[in-house]
Amino acid sequence: MTGGPTVNAYLSTVAATMPGPPRARRDILAELHSGLLDAVDTHRSAGLTAAAATQAAITEFGDPRQVGDAFRPHLAMIQARRLALTLVATGPPVGLLWTAAALASHIAIGYGPPWQWPGAPPLSPAFFPVVGAALMITVWSALATLAATGRLARWLPASARLAAATAATAGLGAAAADLTIFALLASKLTSGPGTLDPFPIVIAAAASLIRLVMARRAARTCLAIRATLTTQQA
Amino acid sequence: MRAETLKGHLDGLLLASLEAGPRHGYAIMEALRAGSGGQFDLPTGTIYPALRRLEQAGLIKGTWSQAGGRQRRVYDLTPAGRRTLAAERGTWRQFSAAVTALLEPAPRPVTP
Repeated sequence: MTGGPTVNAYLSTVAATMPGPPRARRDILAELHSGLLDAVDTHRSAGLTAAAATQAAITEFGDPRQVGDAFRPHLAMIQARRLALTLVATGPPVGLLWTAAALASHIAIGYGPPWQWPGAPPLSPAFFPVVGAALMITVWSALATLAATGRLARWLPASARLAAATAATAGLGAAAADLTIFALLASKLTSGPGTLDPFPIVIAAAASLIRLVMARRAARTCLAIRATLTTQQA
Repeated sequence: MRAETLKGHLDGLLLASLEAGPRHGYAIMEALRAGSGGQFDLPTGTIYPALRRLEQAGLIKGTWSQAGGRQRRVYDLTPAGRRTLAAERGTWRQFSAAVTALLEPAPRPVTP
């Protein structure tokens, strides 16, 4: 028994008002489906026909748009937490890959101030402050998101809107850091590749590119979900 | 009773409905209806987002299980949920005693 087209239409309307991670949405819809079938059973036990019981169950559940709306803060929190966790998990490996690439290429490390290594490209002096600032913003925003969306949320006056904003900031910060690394690499390649070791650089660049695309897309999703939250759903 | 009237108390009521043991969403709603003598008749769909919020806060834990021939998401109180319920209960007792003292008509002084 699936509850028929009326129940499915109800769930479709709920789904249409709930942006967010597909797996979390599927889980919510499965729970609502199961609850609606329970309600249909209850009304059938009270003597209603199948059609009347289904209609009564849907009336009992309330306006599907309002039900979908009420899940938005929860979904925003899940999306924000997932992005923050991904950034925290991918940050150190990507950093290590670039460090390994720099060591293999004999650049920047072990030559006094890192921006003055022999063969430093023109962009080098600007690179370190920009990457440093982007990474600091990313780390702090990701940690704030984890605090606001985890168990600590009980004691924090954090909101889904704020969590979505801090997660998007972390994602855009990581994307900015990756872009800056690519800008330095391009600057080095055009001013003279010198001792660049292609293999570790290609590996690190591939990892950075994947993270850049992922972080940018996830940050945009966070901002899109945040835009659907009303201030009452803060 | 309107949903707005219950606002602020719903979390405590949901936690209380799980005190005796795990329940799925529809059973929680039925417990609220039956326990309030039909006074708390919220749209059933509003219970589910509230349960997810409580789960996110670590006060309840939801798991899918097969019950009555159907997959259901069953919720249980966590230790933090039990502590929060006890605190909510204490706050409610103080609050309701104060409101009752103010709302109930004071007994008239007896004149000789």
